[in-house]
Amino acid sequence: MRLKRTQAFLQKIFLLDILQGLLVTLQHYFSRKVTVPYPEKVLAPAARFRGILRLFRDEKGEPLCIACKACQRACPTKCFEIEGARPEGSRLLRPTRYDWKLSRCTFCGLCVEVCPTAAIRFSREFRMSLVGKDHLLFRLPDMYLEGEDLQQFLCGGCP
Amino acid sequence: MTALTLLFDVLIPVIKIAAVILFPMVMVIVLIWMERRVVAFIQGRLGPNRVGFQGLLQPIADATKLFFKEDIIPREADRLLFNLSPVLVMISSLLAFAFVPLGGPFDVMGYTIDPWIARSPVGLLLVLGLSAIGVFGIIFGGWASNSKYPLMGALRSVVQVLSYEIPLGLTVLTVVFFSRSMDLVAIVNNQKDAKVWFGFLLPFSFLIFWISGIAETNRAPFDLPEAESELVAGYHTEYSGMKFAFFYIAEYAHMVLVSSLVVLLFFGGWLPPFPNVRALAFLGVLPGFVWYLIKIMFFLYLYIWIRGTLPRYRFDALIKLVWKWLVPLALLNFVIVAVAWYLL
Amino acid sequence: MAFKEIELNMGPQHPSTHGVLRLKLRVDNEVVTSVEPVIGYLHRGMEKLWESQTYAQIVPMTDRLDYLAALSNNLGYVLAVEKLMGLEVPKRAQYIRVALVELQRLASHLAWVGFMANDIGAMSVLLYAFEDREAVLDIFEAYCGARLTVHGIRIGGVPFDLDETVAGMIRRVLDETPKKLADIEKLLNDNRIWLHRTRGVGVISAVDAVDLGLTGPALRATGVPWDIRRDLPYSSYEDFEFDVPVRTGGDVYDRYLVRLEEIRQSLRIVRQALDRLPPGPHLAKVPRLLKVPPGEVFHTIEAPKGELGFYIRANGTERPERVKMKSPSFINLQSLERMSKGYLFSDVVGILGSLDIVLGEIDK
Repeated sequence: MRLKRTQAFLQKIFLLDILQGLLVTLQHYFSRKVTVPYPEKVLAPAARFRGILRLFRDEKGEPLCIACKACQRACPTKCFEIEGARPEGSRLLRPTRYDWKLSRCTFCGLCVEVCPTAAIRFSREFRMSLVGKDHLLFRLPDMYLEGEDLQQFLCGGCP
Repeated sequence: MTALTLLFDVLIPVIKIAAVILFPMVMVIVLIWMERRVVAFIQGRLGPNRVGFQGLLQPIADATKLFFKEDIIPREADRLLFNLSPVLVMISSLLAFAFVPLGGPFDVMGYTIDPWIARSPVGLLLVLGLSAIGVFGIIFGGWASNSKYPLMGALRSVVQVLSYEIPLGLTVLTVVFFSRSMDLVAIVNNQKDAKVWFGFLLPFSFLIFWISGIAETNRAPFDLPEAESELVAGYHTEYSGMKFAFFYIAEYAHMVLVSSLVVLLFFGGWLPPFPNVRALAFLGVLPGFVWYLIKIMFFLYLYIWIRGTLPRYRFDALIKLVWKWLVPLALLNFVIVAVAWYLL
Repeated sequence: MAFKEIELNMGPQHPSTHGVLRLKLRVDNEVVTSVEPVIGYLHRGMEKLWESQTYAQIVPMTDRLDYLAALSNNLGYVLAVEKLMGLEVPKRAQYIRVALVELQRLASHLAWVGFMANDIGAMSVLLYAFEDREAVLDIFEAYCGARLTVHGIRIGGVPFDLDETVAGMIRRVLDETPKKLADIEKLLNDNRIWLHRTRGVGVISAVDAVDLGLTGPALRATGVPWDIRRDLPYSSYEDFEFDVPVRTGGDVYDRYLVRLEEIRQSLRIVRQALDRLPPGPHLAKVPRLLKVPPGEVFHTIEAPKGELGFYIRANGTERPERVKMKSPSFINLQSLERMSKGYLFSDVVGILGSLDIVLGEIDK
């Protein structure tokens, strides 16, 4: 007990606690920096990253969506407005209107989970700033990604 | 010949005045940049590195931004004092630099130039006195804002600055024992003649001076007047634009001033280190001013390093620290040095 | 000269009220005589909103309550629904849930240490703590795709299986975090300023704490060894070995130490969960549109902030008739006045910080 008190006293007199702290910060001064200069270096999001929602096509380029509106029903924030029609000579329903409102979306992923054809999936696009309010409404053509973009943002973790 | 002399007589004072104003200003710019970079490095970040080389022009960009900001004066504020206080703070910290020598005398074309504006036999007292005037600016600013947080910040600041003046003065006196002068140039020359810097003769004086100096400049861990987590921004909460920048610059200039004083009083000013070690004689090649700068930079770095490490004192502990520890210790130190001086 | 007692408005835009809390303080010479929290600036009507949502749709909304510990909220709500349905959750899902929730506790406590230190003025600790928290958020991102509002637990299990990459990331965090904690402890534990600012500040007795309904680490710092994980185990917590850190001082410093120790215990639990992860499915068979049998249920869990409870009354449809949550921050906040009366104004910041409140949860 006595020894402990002397030790504490000595620690206080010689500012040992403060020197210890200064040493820790000095070590960090020379250590590797954790932040990344953003626009030059972009960290890739994880494979399952929940970015902007996209509609996908199958290998033959046919759209997967069958306008069943399961996503519309599952959505807690009512992001979707979908209308479907049966094109002539087809037995499947196809969307004629597919509005997704980025401004309402919370990226919870319920729509992706309920989709029976895996048509709607998350992409890994995380840069969502847009120039105008109307750009927050994604219409049917906006929901499809084409060509290389598709590969780049393909969601890796979806079932 | 006379024309040349005349030229020197007119031109050199002008250059000196410009240098004395530019020196703290340039140092402030470098210091603001350094503070942000060093704190960032301590915290594992990169800090500002976009504007100019390694972000060196960042403070200038910030100042430009502040310059174009709207100057808001609260409706209930006392306009005269509100406008006066940033000026007062700024003047007090810049005026003190008139008495701070920037280096030893040197010759240019057979003409000896003294790199200071005024040399006074009581220069040390003048510097301390002038820098303390800034506290008026702070209390005026805090009171004139007519707002609770600035008022509390200002009250804290006044109590803090006035309390810490005492140990500061007491430790300065121990230096005066050795130098037999309050002239800053003479103090440095004395250290040259004594072949040892006073900081090594009087380590406790240096320590007390440094702690009080940090408190004087309202820096962490004694940054209570502007403790962000309690008082928002302390006495300059209501200020914006260039007036805010004035407070900001004055605070940093004050830091440069305290660092300069520490270097002049305790670490040989512009003298190169190890003058009596023959193997290290090449250190004298660098001009005195460079050594002076290096030493000041070291203490400024220390300021930032401490800020990046320590939490903030509470107000009662701050006052307890000065009255129960620093003042008695400074007195004891003073007596011991006096006795030692008498016996030797 | 006596200073007149002044009323001080702290917030809702004050830098250290952790969001949009407003405190009406009365200070007499910087000594606090009364504190009145004014809440509601972040009210979003969550409980009423839930009455119009299906059971599954409520889960992502619970993310937004205590946004520093979204997974704990998910778990609290989901467990209540499962209890009402009598749903058996696969063992593997339970273990994954425990691992995720304990990681969330780690992240929440790390954020707390950082904010607390920042309130007291040690700004570097904030960044050191966030480095580690960032690693935990990376795990969540790899596991379920989001970092903050994760929606990482579903009714009946968890949405994804814990694969090798995620497990590897978790193991790396388990190895790295103790080193960072040691740095934080070196900076704070012995530091005289930190001790002065926290020791003996904001003291509350165990009796008062229980009377005011204080829960979580703040309660355990007063000497009451109450931890629902141990005392009323849920989600297979009975399978894990861990200690419940208890201190008796009841001050800010003890709350700090309790939380640091809880971080260590969380790491222990996560390691056990990873090592003993049983095989099997990660999601029970649950119909797409849940219909919950009529009845009512109340279930509490030990969230990082304290006792988090959900009361649900179901009427047999796919939507609940009423959901009420017992949010720990809301209840802990009422002990603020008891804690801070008689201390200095500067201490209120530290005491408020030590309670670990999140306004999303207080205002709902």
